[in-house]
Amino acid sequence: MELILRPGSSSMVQDYHGQKLAEQIFQAVIVVFAAVGFVWGYYCEQFVQTIYILGAGFALSCVLTLPPWPIYRRNPVSWQKVVDKSEMQETTSAKKSKRKERSK
Amino acid sequence: MNSVLSRANTIFAFTLSVLAFLTFSCFMTTAFNTNAANITVRTSDHIVKSAFTPYGARADRGFFSLGLKADLEQIFNWNVKQLFLYITAEYESENNKLNQVVIWDKIIPRGAKSNLDLKTIKIKYPFFDDGQTLKGKDNVTLTLSWNVIPNAGLLPRIVGTGNTVISFPNEYTR
Repeated sequence: MELILRPGSSSMVQDYHGQKLAEQIFQAVIVVFAAVGFVWGYYCEQFVQTIYILGAGFALSCVLTLPPWPIYRRNPVSWQKVVDKSEMQETTSAKKSKRKERSK
Repeated sequence: MNSVLSRANTIFAFTLSVLAFLTFSCFMTTAFNTNAANITVRTSDHIVKSAFTPYGARADRGFFSLGLKADLEQIFNWNVKQLFLYITAEYESENNKLNQVVIWDKIIPRGAKSNLDLKTIKIKYPFFDDGQTLKGKDNVTLTLSWNVIPNAGLLPRIVGTGNTVISFPNEYTR
């Protein structure tokens, strides 16, 4: 499932701010639906109505927060530039030569 | 929270926690109900026969007809699945300080008619004495009790107010 939603690119996952926002959204949705369902179930004396409304809140929060909607991708992680391989070799060889000098 | 599956897991777990809280709250809204009701039990045609129990022992067996009036509508609320009503006959004999015999019961599910007015019903279960002391017994107390079966929470056992004391004749009926 992850592969379908993230076809080789990290821009299709929720970033860290997006994950926090998603958590806040689904908690708020489920708690509001639970409160409304509790009052409605008490009013019509059917606890099963409370459970149905909570289930609706579950479904809605799944739709809102499961997929990586654009709203959860507004703060992408900025990675460092890829370091060139030849440069890395140069730096390591330079270090080695320094060490040799010191040991002498 | 970084993948779809872990978010689905978190949402599901959170929903279940909220559901548990709601269920407990539902119980708390009804935890302090008295579940009481006024009832009237009438009886007629008391007879006692000398009979044998299914185990072959000779024992007195009582018979009578019941009439029952009970308005149990106000007991039902959103945390009641059904009521289990039962009538017990209680009396003292030489062998036992307390005899308790369930002679009738009834289940009232949610939504069924709960304002009972039963004119003449036969007792449902055989009323055997433990021995032969029922003849001439004059202080057999009939009590209507009920269990309130809830969606969540405790299972209260309520004893109805309005006992009926009955007596049995001094002669066996053949």
